[in-house]
Amino acid sequence: MPPNPILNNSTVSTNAPPETKAVNQRHLNVALQHANIIEQRKKVEAQVLESIIALMDFPNSPDADPKRPSASDATLFREHLVLFQPSDYDSLIEERNIADKCGYTLCPRPKKKTRSGAKKQFVDTERGVEIVDKKVLEVWCSEDCAKRALYVKVQLNEEPAWTRPESYGEKIELMVENPEEHHKVLPLRLKSENLTPTPTKPSEEDEIAAAWLARDDALADLAIERGEKPGRLSKASKDLMTANIKERVASATPPVAPSLDDQPSQAHMAIEGHVPRENRRDQQLDEEDDTEDWDRHLPG
Amino acid sequence: MDSQAQYTPGMVRMWRIYRTTKQMCRDRGYDIPVEDTEISLEEFAHRCRREDGEPERSQLHYSATPTQEMIHKYTPPATAKFPNPEPQIGSLWVEFNADENAGLKQLREYMVHLAQNNHYSGILVTIKPMTGMAIRMLRNATGVDGQVLGGVEVFVEQDLLVNITKHELVPRHILLSHEEKKQLLERYRLKETQLPRIQVTDPVAKYLGLRRGQVVKIIRMSETAGRYASYRWAI
Repeated sequence: MPPNPILNNSTVSTNAPPETKAVNQRHLNVALQHANIIEQRKKVEAQVLESIIALMDFPNSPDADPKRPSASDATLFREHLVLFQPSDYDSLIEERNIADKCGYTLCPRPKKKTRSGAKKQFVDTERGVEIVDKKVLEVWCSEDCAKRALYVKVQLNEEPAWTRPESYGEKIELMVENPEEHHKVLPLRLKSENLTPTPTKPSEEDEIAAAWLARDDALADLAIERGEKPGRLSKASKDLMTANIKERVASATPPVAPSLDDQPSQAHMAIEGHVPRENRRDQQLDEEDDTEDWDRHLPG
Repeated sequence: MDSQAQYTPGMVRMWRIYRTTKQMCRDRGYDIPVEDTEISLEEFAHRCRREDGEPERSQLHYSATPTQEMIHKYTPPATAKFPNPEPQIGSLWVEFNADENAGLKQLREYMVHLAQNNHYSGILVTIKPMTGMAIRMLRNATGVDGQVLGGVEVFVEQDLLVNITKHELVPRHILLSHEEKKQLLERYRLKETQLPRIQVTDPVAKYLGLRRGQVVKIIRMSETAGRYASYRWAI
């Protein structure tokens, strides 16, 4: 019978992948929370890109008027803009210019062409003649469009959409000359009229149900106030913050101030765990004993 | 240099760029004849000259097919699940964009063109760097949902004026095939994460079109040892 190898039977490989089980459920939750935030950021960036691609070829009809845009165009434009940062808006203008369009999204005209192809141009201003980059001149089709486009830009939120407390009540206003048309289209939230109080007395069950409903409503309102939208990632992480409320119960005996007698230990006098002889509480007793002993042994 | 005097600077520039792209494709392993990589300025000008002496960029686009050797290099080893693995390489389309500024619009048109003609990957050479949004789109497209299988690479003309691998301080980089990589790791008993690394944004890595996870062998000249080989993992 061959000798049994002693060393070979331990088959634990140092290269084995680490155990997948998280050390702590909490670690896993934290990791997930952060992963979700990154995921959301990627989603927002992709959405911004899609919006820019969509807005590049705006408006769809060639005879649209930037001063009096159609209501559908305006709402679409505003919806796309919600996630934008000013820098994203600048990219949009850049892309539109490359596509040879006026920088203002609601304007169908091509951008202005300078008279000569030179890189720098002379421009007459109030302060005399200025030399301006050709690029700066060829952004808009007219002063008016520039004004309207910048009016939108200043309203955009500097904070990136994935960190902002989500656009509660954020609404981008457009500079238009037919505002009455646009207000009609806006989905105004009218108070529902069908909730007229019924003359019959509600039963108790109904009242309870109504109370729960009211609570749900209040929670939803609270979430919106916190800056959340339905369907989006909640800012208040339910996994990381556990709301286990413990009542603090008053004990029956009233609290008493500590007294010296309660602490038989002399820890406060100890030097590295040793209590010097002079400071010992029972020092005096010992001394008395000693003197007695000494007396006892005295001759006579 | 007298011979160059009769051509416009734009033409000479374009000639050098064109030559570099051809050399780049050849170095990557595409089937490009040597004559193409050494095309003379005269011949080049004859092909793409406009009346005003400037090069006509739309005349210069070309496609390249991988050689057998390259296909072999890019084919993953056969496994039980996939006994006949597809090579992760295919035809390449090289385009020289003539627009002053390239943005989303140009990139989208280019990608549509690639998809329509069933090209596996593409190289787009632009006059100026692309806009930020276009680069963002490129990043997404080479990811999971890319319409173009092998991805699109974008070069700026200025970066291709000279072939950087011909510089004496740039050592020779050789891409390893799957088997060679496996042998290397077994020989040195390494995991790939234990290799030194090279970024895929490194100029030479961009030149060779390295992808994440590939390993290159770098052969340097050494005064004491003659030649010295090191390996880097593209990341």
